[in-house]
Order: sequence, then structure tokens, then C-alpha cells
Amino acid sequence: MRLADWIVLAVTLASIVLYGVYKGRGSRNIRGYLLADRQMRWYTVALSIMATQASAITFTSTPGQAFVDGMRFVQFYFGLPIAMVILAATAVPIFHRLNVYTAYEYLEHRFDVKTRSLVSMIFLISRGLAAGMTIYAPSIILSVMLGLDIRLTSTIIGGAIIVYTTTGGVKAVNWTDFQQMLIIMFGMVFAFVMTIVLLPSDISFRDALHVAGGMGRLNVIDFSFDLTNRYNFWSGIIGGTFVALAYFGTDQSQVQRYLTGKSVTQSRLGLMFNAVAKVPMQFFILLIGVMVFVFYQFTAPPLFFNPVETSRVKESQFADEYAFLEQQHEGHQKEQSVILRRYLDARAGGNEADVAREQAALKEAQNRTERLRLSASSLVAANNGDTNDTNYIFLSFVMRYLPAGLVGLIFACIFAASMSSTSGELSALATTSVVDVYKRHVSRQADDHHYLLVSRIAMACWGVYGILFAQFASGLGSLVEAVNILGSLFYGTMLGVFLVAFYLKRITGTPVFVGAVISELVVISLFLLERAGVLTLAWLWYPVVGCAVVIVVSAFTQVVLKSQTIMPPDT
Amino acid sequence: MFSTWGRLYAAVLGSLAVFIVLFYVFMKVFS
Repeated sequence: MRLADWIVLAVTLASIVLYGVYKGRGSRNIRGYLLADRQMRWYTVALSIMATQASAITFTSTPGQAFVDGMRFVQFYFGLPIAMVILAATAVPIFHRLNVYTAYEYLEHRFDVKTRSLVSMIFLISRGLAAGMTIYAPSIILSVMLGLDIRLTSTIIGGAIIVYTTTGGVKAVNWTDFQQMLIIMFGMVFAFVMTIVLLPSDISFRDALHVAGGMGRLNVIDFSFDLTNRYNFWSGIIGGTFVALAYFGTDQSQVQRYLTGKSVTQSRLGLMFNAVAKVPMQFFILLIGVMVFVFYQFTAPPLFFNPVETSRVKESQFADEYAFLEQQHEGHQKEQSVILRRYLDARAGGNEADVAREQAALKEAQNRTERLRLSASSLVAANNGDTNDTNYIFLSFVMRYLPAGLVGLIFACIFAASMSSTSGELSALATTSVVDVYKRHVSRQADDHHYLLVSRIAMACWGVYGILFAQFASGLGSLVEAVNILGSLFYGTMLGVFLVAFYLKRITGTPVFVGAVISELVVISLFLLERAGVLTLAWLWYPVVGCAVVIVVSAFTQVVLKSQTIMPPDT
Repeated sequence: MFSTWGRLYAAVLGSLAVFIVLFYVFMKVFS
């Protein structure tokens, strides 16, 4: 990075912290600190929801995923608008009417204290692990790309969050989310424009899309039904709806965002904005990855995108083999550019036989590239390195080809995205720790000032935990899926409990508690069986299974308990 | 017949359907 980039990065980060402290001032009671006095307008709620969901991983891994796998990931978001509508119509008015601080507080109103405690503990464990990863994941990527120690990057992200969340609470979180989302949108639009500007002068945007389509990267929709296929239309619409219902309806890090809405209308509008904007936004981020892919068809890409692992291999016993692969890759890349131009000429000529022939040649060339990348990856593995370079594709493009200043802006976006999602999670963890654990089980009669102090301490403690987790975590696989898989192991159970609470009014506390425990055991067993290779089930289906088990088991237990209570005792 | 919120929800779900159709057309045109 050049001086201008460091300046842009430092100024942006400083402005986020200062803005957060400024907007969060005046939180003098627990309601102000944990619920922003319920004074947020819909646009703040909307962008805060969006910023909390869009983590740094969204902006590093997603374009990389489009590069290697195409755009099919967008289908995962098809269930989101459906879930948003269901939640706006049902959950939002209930949460607002009961004036709760957390979603789990509602469960005590509806069931009993043990169900509230169980679900809030599930949330604290699952989200606690995920929050550690939302600092760790970008910290490691940023440390590799910027050549900084991971302890420094994680401390910058976590430290900045601690400053504004501890002082300003949820109000600071919501307003910084708003600001961070604007920075991110700005940066992503610039990055997209640059992917078009940097194409060779004889290649138009339309040509670029034809190249992407011809090479299988525009696989946006897949209507085939396959339970083992991660991303298709059906898993997106069905599994995606369940995941989004669970995430936005039961995860306090999202519920807290719309609980701050000034009224039911403001909260609902915040959700509706996301329902409309999220799918095209995700499409756009994937399209950036596709454009980076096209760019690299005409400009030689690195053989392996993680610069640290590449340097390590080049200094190892595998240096000669790697150099040979690089040489082959370079020559092959030149050939592929020629084939691509022939393919575009054939398309322009309109002769279908020519197009089919060039497309076949292209496919063959693409397979050769894949094989070379696999060989490089094997060398990285043999050198005990991390073989997944998906997370570095976009940032490596940014660092090599974007002009001074813009590189700093994109890195600021990654920091901002990391801070926005982590701050939402940490504030939710702190709120749940204080409201559902401390205030409910430890100290029930203290004054408001005491709870405010405890809330500030909880915010700081969760922040410090996040930093420490990031510094000690290692050996993670693909970052996008790791976070999502972790969530999906718990989401089904949480969603099942809330669905029973909202819609099955006859089911009481003990049956739903039994249902939740059995559901969690079933989902974890399925996960372990899948890991052992006994069965194959795409992770998007876990929430569906977990939710169904809670509903069925709790309904069954309710019937059994009811029949026992009316049965006369044995004589 | 439908409330304001009902119409808004229908419009939101309609926008999802429109996006899916547009994505499909986009995929077919450029593939």
C-alpha cells in the first residue's frame, strides 16, 4: 500500500470511532444503552441490519467464490425476503408490544424461565464462537495482505469496537453500522467500475459477460432439486428461508437492530428495505468477483493468490517445481487469451458451429488452468500451508491493480464490514449476558445505574474475548462456510422454539424444552455423521431438520403430558 | 381488499420474483 492508501485507511477508521462515540453520547440508562431509547428511524434500522449481516467475509470471500465457483451462491439469499415478510408481519409487533430487551425475554412471557435460559445459552455459545471468528477471519486476511501482525489487525478491529460500543452502546452500534454500510457501498461501486475500466481496450462490458457466461461463471439459477447440492433454487428458497427466519427472528444480534425502531412501522420498513435490497446487493458483489475473473483471463493472474503461502513455497524445497508450474501457467494464460478472443469473434460472427468449437477449446484451456492451480495448491499443502486461497483473490486484485487511495478505501471497507458485524454481535452478546443471565439469575433488584455499569463491563469483556479468540484461533477452512455451518447447527432449534411460541399456542414450556434439547442432539448427530462420511446433507438443510424436530417432539410431548395429567393414578 | 401492509408485502415478494426472472434471463443471454 502507498502513503495515500494508509492515509485513507487511517482517516476512515478514525472517523468511524469518532462518529460512534459522538452519536452514542447521552446513553444514561440501560434502555438508552441497550435499546437506543427505541428512537431509530427506518433507514438507520435498515442499514444497521444490512451492515450487521454483511461481514468482512462477505466482501473478501464472496467475490473469490464467484471467481472459482460462479454466481450460484446468490440463490442462498432467495429465502431472505420471504423470511423478512413473515417476521415483519408476526414477530415485530409481538416484540414491540411486550417491550422486551431481547428475543429470549419473550420466551419467558410465553413459556417459562428454563426455556428462556436454554435458548439464551444456545445463543451465547453459538454467537460467541461466531463473533470470535468474525474478528479472526478478516484479521488474518488483512494481516496477510497488509503485511501486519494478526495481533495488530485484530486489536485494531476489536479495540475500535470496544471504544464506541462501551461508551455509546447500541445507539453507537446502529449509527456506525449506518456509516460503515455507506462506506462499503461507496467502495464496492468504485471497485466494480475499476474492474470494467481495467479490461483490455478491445473488450467491452458485454464481451466480458459473454466470456464469463462461456466459462460457466454466470450460473445464477439452478432449478434442479438435489439435497446434496449446496446452492440451488430450492435449497435457497426453502433452506434459505429457514436460515433467514432463524437469523433475523431469533438471533439477538439482528433482533436488537429492529428492536431499536421508533415504532412497529419503522422496524418493519427497516426489514422491508433489506428484503428488497439484499438479493441485488449480493448479486452485485458476486458480479464483482466475476469481473475480476474476466479481468484475469486477459492479464496473467498469480498461480496461487495467498502471497504469504506463495513466498513460503518459493523459499522451500518445492521452489523449482513451483517455478516450473508458474512458467507453464504464464504460457498457458497467453494461449487462453487468444482462444477467448477467437470465441468472442465467433459469437460476433453468429456462426453456431464456430461458437461451439471455440467454447470447447475454451473449456479445455480452463481445465488445464484448473489442473495447474491444483498442482500449485498441492505444493502449498506439501509445504504445510493453507491451500484455500479464495479469500485472497479479490484483495490481491485490489492491491495489484487499483490506483492509490482506492486501495486504502477498499481495505477501509473490509475493516468497516468487520467492525459493523462484530459490533452488532458483541452488543447482542452483552445484552443477552446482562438481561437474560445477570439481571434474571444473579442480581434482580439492583438499580438502573448498576445495570448500566454491568452492561458497559459486559460490552468490554466480550470485545476483549473477541480479540483474544482471534489471536489464538488457527487452522480454519473456508471462512464463509465455517461461519454459516456453525450457525446452522443451532439455528434450527432456536427457530423451532420461536415458531412454536408464535404459532402453536397450546404447547407449553416443558414440551418445547424437551423438543429443543432433542433437536439439538439430532442436529449435532447429523453433523457428526456427515463429517464421518456416513450421510450427505447440504448444511442449508440443518435448520429445516432442527426446526421440524422441535415442532414434532414438543407437540408429541405435549400430548403425552396432557394424557398423563388426565389419567387416573394407579391403585 | 388488502391492507397497506399486505400490499407492501406482496410488492416485496413480487420484487423477489422479478429478480429471479431477471437473473434467469441474464444467465441465458450471456451463456
